[in-house]
Amino acid sequence: MTLLIEFAIALLKVLVIVFGFVMALGSLMTLTERKYSAFMQKRWGPIRAEVLGFRFGGLLHLVADGVKMILKEDFIPSGANRNIHTIAPAMGLFTAMVIFAIIPFADAWCTGLALPVEGMDLCFGFDDAEALQSAQPAAVATFAPTHPYFQIADLNAGLLYMFAITGIGVYGTALGGWASNSKYSLLGGLRASAQMISYEVSMGLSLAGLLMVYGTLDVNEMVREQGALLWGTVPMWGILVQPFAFFLFLTASIAESKRAPFDMPEAESELVAGYFTEYSAMKFGIFSLSEFVMVVFIGAICATLFFGGWQVPWLYADGFHFSGDSMLAAASGGAWTAGELQSYVQASTPDIALPYGLVVFLRIGCFLTKIILMIALQLQIRWTLPRFRYDQIMFLGWKILLPASLINLFITALAILLLR
Amino acid sequence: MPKCTINGQAIEVDRGVTVIQAAAELGFDVPHFCYHPALSVPANCRMCLIEIEPPPGRPPMKLQPACYTQVAEGMVVQTESERVLQARRAVLEFILVNHPVDCPICDQAGECKLQDYYMDYDAQASRVRTSKVSKAKVLPLGPEVVYDGERCILCTRCVRFCDEVTGTSELTVTERGDRSEIRTFAGRELDNAYSLCTVDLCPVGALTSRDFRFKCRVWLLTSTDSICTGCSRGCSIHLEHHRNEIQRYRPRFNPEINEYWMCDAGRHTYNEVHRDRVQAPAVGGQALTWPRAYEQTAARLKAAVEAHGADATAFVFSPQAACEDLYAARGFAEGALGATRHYVGGRPEGAGDDFLITPDKNPNRNGLLVMFPRDRRPAPFQRLLADLEAGEIKVLYMMGSEIPLDGEERARFLAAVAKVDLFVLQAPRQDELGPLAHVLLPAATHAEKEGTYVNCDGIAQQTRQGLQPIGGALPEWQVFVQLARRLEKPLAYSFVKQLRDEMFKVMEENSAAAAS
Amino acid sequence: MPAKTLVMERGKRSFWVQSYLPEVANGLAVTLKHLVRFITRQEESVFTINYPEEKRQYPERYRGLHRLMVREDGQVRCVACMCCSTICPANCIHIVAAEHDDASIEKYPRIFVIDELRCIVCGLCVEACPCDAIRMDSGVHCHSFTDRTTAFLNRDLLMNLGTYSAAKQGGERSF
Ligand code: SF4
Ligand code: SF4
Ligand code: SF4
Ligand code: SF4
Ligand code: FES
Repeated sequence: MTLLIEFAIALLKVLVIVFGFVMALGSLMTLTERKYSAFMQKRWGPIRAEVLGFRFGGLLHLVADGVKMILKEDFIPSGANRNIHTIAPAMGLFTAMVIFAIIPFADAWCTGLALPVEGMDLCFGFDDAEALQSAQPAAVATFAPTHPYFQIADLNAGLLYMFAITGIGVYGTALGGWASNSKYSLLGGLRASAQMISYEVSMGLSLAGLLMVYGTLDVNEMVREQGALLWGTVPMWGILVQPFAFFLFLTASIAESKRAPFDMPEAESELVAGYFTEYSAMKFGIFSLSEFVMVVFIGAICATLFFGGWQVPWLYADGFHFSGDSMLAAASGGAWTAGELQSYVQASTPDIALPYGLVVFLRIGCFLTKIILMIALQLQIRWTLPRFRYDQIMFLGWKILLPASLINLFITALAILLLR
Repeated sequence: MPKCTINGQAIEVDRGVTVIQAAAELGFDVPHFCYHPALSVPANCRMCLIEIEPPPGRPPMKLQPACYTQVAEGMVVQTESERVLQARRAVLEFILVNHPVDCPICDQAGECKLQDYYMDYDAQASRVRTSKVSKAKVLPLGPEVVYDGERCILCTRCVRFCDEVTGTSELTVTERGDRSEIRTFAGRELDNAYSLCTVDLCPVGALTSRDFRFKCRVWLLTSTDSICTGCSRGCSIHLEHHRNEIQRYRPRFNPEINEYWMCDAGRHTYNEVHRDRVQAPAVGGQALTWPRAYEQTAARLKAAVEAHGADATAFVFSPQAACEDLYAARGFAEGALGATRHYVGGRPEGAGDDFLITPDKNPNRNGLLVMFPRDRRPAPFQRLLADLEAGEIKVLYMMGSEIPLDGEERARFLAAVAKVDLFVLQAPRQDELGPLAHVLLPAATHAEKEGTYVNCDGIAQQTRQGLQPIGGALPEWQVFVQLARRLEKPLAYSFVKQLRDEMFKVMEENSAAAAS
Repeated sequence: MPAKTLVMERGKRSFWVQSYLPEVANGLAVTLKHLVRFITRQEESVFTINYPEEKRQYPERYRGLHRLMVREDGQVRCVACMCCSTICPANCIHIVAAEHDDASIEKYPRIFVIDELRCIVCGLCVEACPCDAIRMDSGVHCHSFTDRTTAFLNRDLLMNLGTYSAAKQGGERSF
């Protein structure tokens, strides 16, 4: 029975997050990208689709595009490997979507009483504040279970999962290019595999520093760690402790997403459209959709790892704390007594107290905002920088990003060693 | 032997050689209109003026025509001096005073000497403010040649050709001064057998060919060295084609055969290349691919020869084919097919003259004859007719669809052919025989393959491939090689070079034996 | 004679330019500035011309659909010299010349077809024509095609757009 409920909950999460959020944002991106670039170039962008004379600022193009994609002829070139040609786009989209499993949209739901301890919320085994007040002051506080309602899979090896999945992601591209039986496609596919392999290395290494700082691979745990206040005032976001790694990671992951300035695999001035030259209709649509989903993912993972994920600055389970002093300190004996907690709650120490539900809500909203800002940053980059040459891409990947991330790793290790 | 210096280079020439020839020997091109190496020298256009340096201490001399002035001992000549260039510009301007400059509609544009020299030496805007003299336009001088009086520069090359080369003297210059024009004498037409040579000679577009007029701009033409297959003279020609279609033949200078000329009839023979072509191999009226056709032809030949015996099998060699084809044909007929009866086909005899045209209208009869030892030469066509009518021949393999018979004999031949058991025709054209053939194999013409042809005087010439084969045509020798292989008696060669090595050896032996 | 060569020094680029990072930041700033300006002051900064409703003024030498000019009596001016079809980089002009009854015209295009789908609108044919017979100043847009054969504009269609041209070629004639 509980298994069934858990299954139902998991299904619901998948539905809401993947289809309600990821897909929605992904398809919205098809329009956003054109609008955003248009505005940057002082154009209107798509505005002409209309229903009964209403244009809604171009929003209808979303529908028009969808209808067009579905109704167009699905063309498979002669000599193409039909099965692989058909599966390839699905593989691309599949990997781009399952990768969202590790993104936490808020902290795990606390079934007891959530209180911040040195910047990290802990879930104590009291039903609520009243239950705490009536407890024996000398009793040792226990912890209540938490439910990861806002994350599809709370994996303790979350980051490894991410690398594994992005590693598979290249198959869709490479196979699609190969199966099309066209020279342009094949070249595009080959470029994609070479590029993805090159950049995956520095992508992984750039995050290794972060792993050492937070000491965990669990993504939600990493976000929780970022709530800690540095010198009692500044939230310890990833960008502060690993600024260098952020730029390395952003570069590498844009390269992974195969978008300008790293769009060598589709380089339309040389390869027509690269690996999806021979794709049409919805298969083509799926390729570009998975590209957009990848953009959303990069936004999400950057926000998660470097910008505090769902953390709202200074907001903790019971409200805003603008300095670390007003928070619970670590328990001296390894555990708290109910009395310690009672005195803390009575003093109502948060600078602005807020109910737990509202906090969760704020956190989700904040995370979405961060994702959107990160997407905007990627669009800005994509529509600003011209495409690199192929040799420059290889040079950047192997001779600059790789050594730089190694140096970053080394310095981080040294710093951790010295500060301990 | 007078010595002279031209543009600083010394040269020693025979007595009587003109400056223009000496300069040409040194590689200096002196522009000229009226001079032609095969004609007399009237020196009337003044385009070739050059400067001869005076003896020391004497004033500069008048410019002299290079075409007329003979080299004298110690002469010092400048062909590109300032004075010469100035004179050339003046001559060109003078010629252009009444020239219509209708290059857009002029067939000569692109190979016009006036255009070329204008671009090289004149290249200035017209200073003439008066109107131009109008003269005859599109005036037919004869059946082949059309005259445009306005474009004529009155070099008289055409007149001299008719006087000196053909000796027919149809043309003359009428009127005087800027009204002068070329005309035929009253009651005459420019209708000699070589009249189109005047079109080649004319340095401008005044004489144009009725046949070539407006067909193709000359700059689009690709030129291939070939020969004319109109008669056994085998004049050397430029075979000029565009988009895989021959547009015209033009004589190619060959001092041993045709010099600068060729006959009008020969120029029209390019039509034969595009007329009535066999498009694809066909067995029993069924069009096939070559591999299939080889198989089925070989099977039919084998069955027929086995049924009727080698003695009832006849092979007709064509003097229209190239030596390579004939050599392979002989190997095939004697070896693979085992035919014992050999005959010669080809076109019937026609009229000849005492200049170029010969009565034998086949370009390679000598090549055919020299392919065989004297005592084994194929029998004449008349014998084939007799043997056919006697019912001695059941299997007939024929190269070429030409029949060297006329009138009643021709009809008898066609009737007899219709009666044989197996008739294989390998020819470029269908003609009357195509519909009668049980097996029809398309053959490439001289324009579509490389081949060797031996003319009436025993001079061998090689043609180059100009066109892509029309339809499924193949050089005949390739077909013989393939058929022999299918008949399991392969010929000893499969490349043209191997074939030629063998062929020339055999030809040399046979001709040496014939001479002794 | 040896070819004239000029050795160009590569411009020196500072470390920061080479590192590309400040330039990326500059670039992002520029595009962001435009974005913000567009959003805040849309009306004055938009470049878009909403084509069917608003139209751009064509420049004087705009190359539109081809047209064939005519003589005084309405006959085609073209004399089928093939200059245009020879120069045409798209190889899309097909002309068949024929003998004209009038000896003073002598040559005319019996067939003159332009494949407007193949045409790359370079205007070289107009430059090449020695007779002012072909022009592209009709100001007419090439219409859209759903069938390739309708893109083959023939002589009479091209002449419909043509007008009389008085250009003289080769000078005046007397008696
Ligand atoms: S003769 Fe030469 S220059 Fe005169 S119209 Fe013809 S091509 Fe032009
Ligand atoms: S027709 Fe030609 S060859 Fe004859 S005189 Fe005139 S220009 Fe010379
Ligand atoms: S515009 Fe250019 S491409 Fe078009 S017909 Fe003229 S020459 Fe050819
Ligand atoms: S260039 Fe002018 S005259 Fe010549 S064919 Fe073309 S349109 Fe006609
Ligand atoms: S070529 Fe010498 S005068 Fe004409």
